[in-house]
Amino acid sequence: MLRLIGQRLLAMVPLLLIVSVMTFSFTALLPSDPVDLIIGDRGSEEQYEMVRERLGLNQPFLTRYADWLLRAMTGDLGTSFFNSVQVKDAVLQRMPATLSLTFGSVLISITVGLAAGVAAGLRPGSWVDRTATFGATIGQAIPNFWFGIILASVFAVSLRWFPATGYVPLTDSPMEWLRSITLPALALGLSTSAAIARQVRSAMVGVLQQDYIRAARAQGLSSRRVVLKHALKNALVPVVTVLSFQITVLLGGALIVEQVFAINGIGSLAITAVRQQDIPMIQGIVLILVLVVMLVQLATDILYGLINPKARPT
Amino acid sequence: MLLTLLFCALFAEWVTPYDPLQQDLINALQGPSVEHWLGTDDLGRDVLSRLIFGSRIAVIAPAEATGLAVLIGVPIGLFIGFRGGWWDWVVMRVVEAVVSIPGIMVAIVIIAILGTGLHRAMFALGILYSTAFLRLARSVVLTEREEVYVKSARVIGAGPTRILLRHIFLNIAPPLIVQVTLTVGAVLLAEAGLSFIGIGVQPPQASWGTMLNSAASFMELSPFLAVPPGIAIVATVLAVNLLGDVLRDSIGRGVRVPSTGAPAQRMLAVPRKATTPMAPHPDDALRVEGLEIMVSPKGEAEVPVVTDMSFRIAKGETLGLVGESGSGKTVTGLGLMGLIGTGVRITNGRVMLENTNLLGLDRRDLEKARGNDVAMVFQDPTTSLNPTYTVGNQIAEVLRIKQGLSHRAARDRTIELIDRVGIPRPAQQADAYPHELSGGMAQRIAIARALSCTPKLLIADEPTTALDVTVQQEILDLFRDLQDEFGMAMLFVTHDLAVAADICDRIAVMYCGEIVETAPVDALFADPRHPYTAGLLSAMPHGQSGKPPLPVIRGSVPAPGHWPTGCRFAARCPYAIDACAKPVQMTGTDRLERCTRADELSLEPAK
Ligand code: SF4
Repeated sequence: MLRLIGQRLLAMVPLLLIVSVMTFSFTALLPSDPVDLIIGDRGSEEQYEMVRERLGLNQPFLTRYADWLLRAMTGDLGTSFFNSVQVKDAVLQRMPATLSLTFGSVLISITVGLAAGVAAGLRPGSWVDRTATFGATIGQAIPNFWFGIILASVFAVSLRWFPATGYVPLTDSPMEWLRSITLPALALGLSTSAAIARQVRSAMVGVLQQDYIRAARAQGLSSRRVVLKHALKNALVPVVTVLSFQITVLLGGALIVEQVFAINGIGSLAITAVRQQDIPMIQGIVLILVLVVMLVQLATDILYGLINPKARPT
Repeated sequence: MLLTLLFCALFAEWVTPYDPLQQDLINALQGPSVEHWLGTDDLGRDVLSRLIFGSRIAVIAPAEATGLAVLIGVPIGLFIGFRGGWWDWVVMRVVEAVVSIPGIMVAIVIIAILGTGLHRAMFALGILYSTAFLRLARSVVLTEREEVYVKSARVIGAGPTRILLRHIFLNIAPPLIVQVTLTVGAVLLAEAGLSFIGIGVQPPQASWGTMLNSAASFMELSPFLAVPPGIAIVATVLAVNLLGDVLRDSIGRGVRVPSTGAPAQRMLAVPRKATTPMAPHPDDALRVEGLEIMVSPKGEAEVPVVTDMSFRIAKGETLGLVGESGSGKTVTGLGLMGLIGTGVRITNGRVMLENTNLLGLDRRDLEKARGNDVAMVFQDPTTSLNPTYTVGNQIAEVLRIKQGLSHRAARDRTIELIDRVGIPRPAQQADAYPHELSGGMAQRIAIARALSCTPKLLIADEPTTALDVTVQQEILDLFRDLQDEFGMAMLFVTHDLAVAADICDRIAVMYCGEIVETAPVDALFADPRHPYTAGLLSAMPHGQSGKPPLPVIRGSVPAPGHWPTGCRFAARCPYAIDACAKPVQMTGTDRLERCTRADELSLEPAK
């Protein structure tokens, strides 16, 4: 198992490199000159050169990339063009909100998706199944941010059960933290719940027809036990795969849902950075997001190995 | 739904009651009214009009982005699929990298370069979704190339490249269409998202996303504002997705072999007089009386698969249930345990295990009886063990649940059992997963599990059929040894008379859902009384000669629902006479047969 993790960690390196080259060269294509944005129209020629010099923009592309890469490896992602904030600090400061949202939605979608999928898969064709399948189809068509608006106007504005906006860090108050991310996580988790429910349903239907399920029944194990122990573990295998795909969807979705609930996460950071053409910030955000995605995918791979012994390296 | 959308988009100017941009600040944020059906927004603009104009974007946006994605993705995918090698490697790594970045983030970065606005945003989404088309095109090329080159090795003529091109264009269309509908749905959602965060369509232009953006800011004042554009998006995406589902299904159906037409006339079971009930005998471990099992195939009338099934097995005895596939022997075995699936039901009969009728038990008592009193070994050991648990765990689980053993005791007993079924290094093998064992070893484990609670009856359903010939004999020997030790009765279901002869004391021959002959093994082989038995015996490959088994019984087994009302074997029987058209009862005392001419015929014994 350790060797598998090591291998996967190593495999991440080239992918990260490619991502960095891509974002770096894309951002080099930016049409407007960031220096103009910084000093405004009335800057003198010397000022202009000075800023260029300070930002290292007078260097050739490759030198800039190599320089950036070397520093990135030591964990230094540079400073923002616009305020002397360290990119790393800015991103890390915003990360907890976005991650709380994302993982909250992962939890919700696993719970909802599993429950609905198992209920539907146990009796294909029953009204439970038809309701769940119908719900999943609708769920996948609802934009997460719209669902967020609806949730906010019902549960926050009208009923006042949850705060409509803002994020409370976990370290400040766990209870308030939970309240502040409940609605956004629900909004975000809807479509993934639907995707998981569909997967679990079809996996469950397939697994329940397997010989080993019949053999377990023949051994006199109760239906409950057969479903919850023997069938579910096998039906979980595809769920893990879905989850590893969905993580990018969820992280991306979080950027948007954050806007509905006025949560200062990576989303608003990225939008501001794009508006200001803040190159180091954009690069840093992309790189860290990709890192998060890869770590999550590594985790799902390990999980996959745990529930599916055939996938384990021998 | 989609047509309405298209109509609105094309004729927006004529349909809308108001100019979508006309402001009327006095009447801002109104609820629905007669003048403004869906109310007004923060600047007093008519929501319905804006919604209709927004539909224009809902058509243009996905069309642009999807079109671009196809135009970029498919050619590159085809190219790298053909070219392979280095090109393929580099492009695929780039695709992997793009896919690992959250899609919205990719779009945001591209928009950062190009600037905001509808068309630029759609360009960004086009690039983003082109990866899906690229992969699709590439995989079609790769699969088709494999197939075409294999075939063209035999067919000389047109160059393989030309054939390949034709194949690719034929095969790429269906998945492409499905992928297009998926992409259109995804673009709709993404466009709304981007416009919502203010980097897609720019105000004051009306798009569903920007409408939601202003709705979100005025959530407290006018919650209704969010409803119309949201419903519009959901309904549109739903319509597109459903269209995709329908397309996928119809394409899928084109591939599948259509089921052959429904059988014209089906013969229902004519109620027959059941064989006279057997007198209970103190030695009986199992007594089955008049078992009848019906199956209802999807959308068709119920048909019998097993009728008038009666037999007994004494303690410590092995009865072979022999028949061709489709004779109902497996469903009989499952029926005894109440393990028949949906659409199958037992309509008659009793299954007396010592003094309890298994068919009369409620669910909980039946669950209790399974495993403890009667257990089963299945045909394919590699599929009858759960792939996600160790084999030791699966045996120990039964011991814990059924016998109430502690974890420790269950583990110890498990290792004893694994040792008993002849597996070397039992403690180590207990921690193996089923896929790590050979078929023979896995079957030994399945046997150990079945016997873990020392049942009175063991049902073995073709337990050696899936195994290697050399292993078969070992497993048969194991069954014999274990029967001596545990003393259980066995019902041995098999299609193989030779196997049955090896292990059974008596044999019941099944044909079309009923037993046609029951006799001790030696008597059955030396003096078959039923023409079907004689046919089976002569079809056996005999001795070392290895000659093809001749003669074979002509014709084939009729499917359930197509059985004749008289002797079910009549159509294939060389001795059939007019009298055989009437239902035939079991006759005889120590051995039983179901043939009107049983007494007069003298049939060929086994060689
Ligand atoms: S009853 Fe008639 S048709 Fe049937 S097996 Fe006997 S002889 Fe043949």
